[in-house]
Amino acid sequence: MSTFIRQFCALIALVLVSAGLNARPQASEHRTQPWSERTLEAFGEIPIQDGGRIKPLSTYASFALLRLNGKRSAESSTGEVLDPVAWLLDVTFFPEDAALSKSFLVSDSDAIIAIGLSTDGKKKRDRWTYAELLPGMPRLFSLAHDYDAIEAKARTSIQQQVVDLASNVFSFMRLARSFDWSRGGDPSDGHALTVIAPANTTNVDQPWFAPANLVAGIGPNRSLEPADAAVVAEFETLIRLRADAGAFESTLISLRDRLVARAMARGEYEHVELERAYYAFDPIRWSLASFIAAFLVVSIMWLRPRSKLAWKSTLALTSVGALLLVTAIVLRCIIRERPPVSTLYETVLFVTASCVLVAVFIECVQRSRFAIQTAAVLGTVGLFVANGYETLDKQDTMPSLVAVLDTNFWLATHVTAITIGYSAGMLAAALASFYLLGKLIGWKRDEPETRRKLARTVYGVVCFALIFSTVGTILGGVWANDSWGRFWGWDPKENGALLIVISQIVMLHARRGGYLRDDGLCMAAAFGGTIVAFSWWGVNLLGVGLHSYGFTSGIHSALWTYYGIQWGVVGLGGVAWLRERATRKNVPVETPVLEHRRAKKMRAAA
Amino acid sequence: MKRFARCLLAVFSSLGTSCILLVLLGLLTWLGTLEQTRTGLFEVQRKYFESFFLVHRFGSIPIPLPGANLVMCLLAVNLFVGGLVRIRKSWATFGIIVAHVGIAMLLASALVKYEWSEDGHVTLYEGQRADHFESYFRWEIALIRKEDDGKTREWLVPHERIEDAQRSRVRVSMTDVPFELEIESLARNCRPEWAKDAGAHGPIVVDGVRLVSRAVDARAEANIAGACVSVVDERDGIRRRALLWGAEAKPFTFFAAGKPWALSLRKERYEMPFALQLARFTKEDHPGIDMPKSFQSDVKVASAGVERDVKISMNEPLRDGGLVLYQASWGPSNARPGDRLFSTFAVVRNPADQWPLAACLVIAAGLLFHFVRKLVRYVQLEARAA
Repeated sequence: MSTFIRQFCALIALVLVSAGLNARPQASEHRTQPWSERTLEAFGEIPIQDGGRIKPLSTYASFALLRLNGKRSAESSTGEVLDPVAWLLDVTFFPEDAALSKSFLVSDSDAIIAIGLSTDGKKKRDRWTYAELLPGMPRLFSLAHDYDAIEAKARTSIQQQVVDLASNVFSFMRLARSFDWSRGGDPSDGHALTVIAPANTTNVDQPWFAPANLVAGIGPNRSLEPADAAVVAEFETLIRLRADAGAFESTLISLRDRLVARAMARGEYEHVELERAYYAFDPIRWSLASFIAAFLVVSIMWLRPRSKLAWKSTLALTSVGALLLVTAIVLRCIIRERPPVSTLYETVLFVTASCVLVAVFIECVQRSRFAIQTAAVLGTVGLFVANGYETLDKQDTMPSLVAVLDTNFWLATHVTAITIGYSAGMLAAALASFYLLGKLIGWKRDEPETRRKLARTVYGVVCFALIFSTVGTILGGVWANDSWGRFWGWDPKENGALLIVISQIVMLHARRGGYLRDDGLCMAAAFGGTIVAFSWWGVNLLGVGLHSYGFTSGIHSALWTYYGIQWGVVGLGGVAWLRERATRKNVPVETPVLEHRRAKKMRAAA
Repeated sequence: MKRFARCLLAVFSSLGTSCILLVLLGLLTWLGTLEQTRTGLFEVQRKYFESFFLVHRFGSIPIPLPGANLVMCLLAVNLFVGGLVRIRKSWATFGIIVAHVGIAMLLASALVKYEWSEDGHVTLYEGQRADHFESYFRWEIALIRKEDDGKTREWLVPHERIEDAQRSRVRVSMTDVPFELEIESLARNCRPEWAKDAGAHGPIVVDGVRLVSRAVDARAEANIAGACVSVVDERDGIRRRALLWGAEAKPFTFFAAGKPWALSLRKERYEMPFALQLARFTKEDHPGIDMPKSFQSDVKVASAGVERDVKISMNEPLRDGGLVLYQASWGPSNARPGDRLFSTFAVVRNPADQWPLAACLVIAAGLLFHFVRKLVRYVQLEARAA
């Protein structure tokens, strides 16, 4: 996108200044009533080819608005809260109204000052309308042009915001000009809505058309195919009738049916309805709600540790949350025709789901209450991270994949295994932190058996983690050997995975050798969480290597917060250990090797 | 002495040694990862992972550390002595031993790859054919004689002999060749330039041209070597001097013993047991955007008079005759539709190609056996306690 901006910035600035594009460039018709439910539904169901795949227009609108406004709603000039589909309808059919909606999030008003506008009456982080930004646009595009020449890593935060704002304004303008052709504008301006599937070909690699593309094909000696001409005519009718809500609705429904039929004829509408249903039901939100409820009950459990009702409710709520999350993952697999994990966003969903499922399994076996508490906490935190990442990344979470990732076999084996490894590492760290904090505040000091049980659980989870981390890491090498001809290349992501494996092997060997006992193992496992986090997120922030995929700036602070918390917990665990050691004589704890040596000595003595 | 040996054995086989070595390996991996943001991968690999000893600078404080090569050698010893030989043999340790065998297999495959593999590439335009592949950074000097029947005969000076010329002149004599070659100097990375003033100590000037050395590039394949070679014929006492450069368009040619000869410095070539012809290269993008969906080369593989069609694409290499060919690159990047494209295949001859997969399965089986056994016992214990 950035080079795109560079190429077009100067041109756009010129157009803006010379043509004097103002907030009301079109005929002065306004929307007088909210969009009807049926209109919103019909528009949202139209398939669009975007980002290399076919998706419902509702998904497209949702991410377009998220990119511009940092959330999935916008406020119109009349104070109406617009959902993404309503907003997109406004932008395309009533651009003059949309120009007055608060559609642009500016995180720091310094970016506004930089483009020469006044920030009076606005907060530092506030939402702006297109009309408000208009006077500053020549400067915005000129600055964006300059800043875009600076390497992304070297830009200041204000420079980055200026570049982003220019890009957002540009996207908005592209959408707003979608139907300019019907008002006598240049059809070459309206490429945004590629909703018309090509007729007469079933080649799925064929790009779809925007209405303007078809119009641009009309010339003195060139006419459209009858089917295409009918679509264009229907679009024209739609635009003409935009002020008449009832007629608009019925024309839109007929147009939708026509567009859906064209997509279906090519076999490209298969998963669009399912995707609509997925986002409409939003299982992730319900799952999060369930985990939050479980988390609230957990806090009751802390006050009344023996309450059976609280325990049962937590178990039920967490299980429901896990079930909903698994449903979400399965639906995504069906929509994408992919294994569960192929993007960074999906790793978060998968890690959360597997952490919670393993914890629920442990709880069912042990019934000792700490696993289910950890599950509720991890479920809540995990889904908050997922939502936070989605908001920060602002990209479709079901994107097309680059050539090397286009292999369901390796995605299903290597990626799934390594992600389960991450999950188990994270779960072990959470349980270990539970142990250490509990010990520090004197929790269940009189129940050493429970504590030992928790430590043994941590050990079990580390073992589980080791299997998947090791297999996942080696399979990653085997995959690399199949696509690049080398098994291991010391790439940061490979190294991260190796670090996880090494840390877990060290924990198990040190425990076996008696160098780490319960406290030490838990401290090591809690520290291991930061190694997993480094491998999972940290190496992507280094900006080198083959795996620096994903937009992850802005994750720095979250990552360092996690490091800080875990290291703090390890430190506090160390304090608790020293305190205990000072008050109690060292009680020898059996380890397999010590036990074996003792038995050997006894045999020798006998 | 016996006691000392026993003590040494105990140290090498101890779990404590394993822990220390693993922590060191982890530390090196971590430092080597962070260092990649400052220096390139090649440099980091050489300094941290392929060394026996290194000094890491933590700010201005130098910290001496053992290199990953040393640590891994010691770990291998530790694994064999402690994890395979001296470990208690029972059902309780069966899974662990199997996993250790798997790791030993992984180490063995690394050793085989390191010592006995060859890798290079072959680049073909559509319609072109090749029966050899070239190394990325190993050089050879080829002496070629045109025979009376029009065929050619080749003599090769290998990479290591050429490298020796960095220290002193290297004299090479070959069977059936009536003269000797003397490699007078070698530059690992250089460019030819017109010599305006021939200094007494500067690079050797031949026909007004000299090879000017440049800093060696961290990406080994980016270096272009150059050598000054003399053809010394003891019988007629004639000494012909030539500058050979790795990127030269044409070889140095001369007449000796009544026959035409050519001398060329080129990337080391390896024969393939088949001939490869690129029929077509296809790059597909996802519809409507500029993101590659697939790269694919349709090739014809001919051996022993039989020709077959094969597709090579990302994640689907061609395995044949001990070689593996991968889709590595393509071009020209600015080609317009209909232009003739080229495709580059990375070629690897690695006897241990599929060993890691086998090792992975062995390790997985060992760990699964061990941990599932423990889990079952634990669940039984819990059930009994409940």
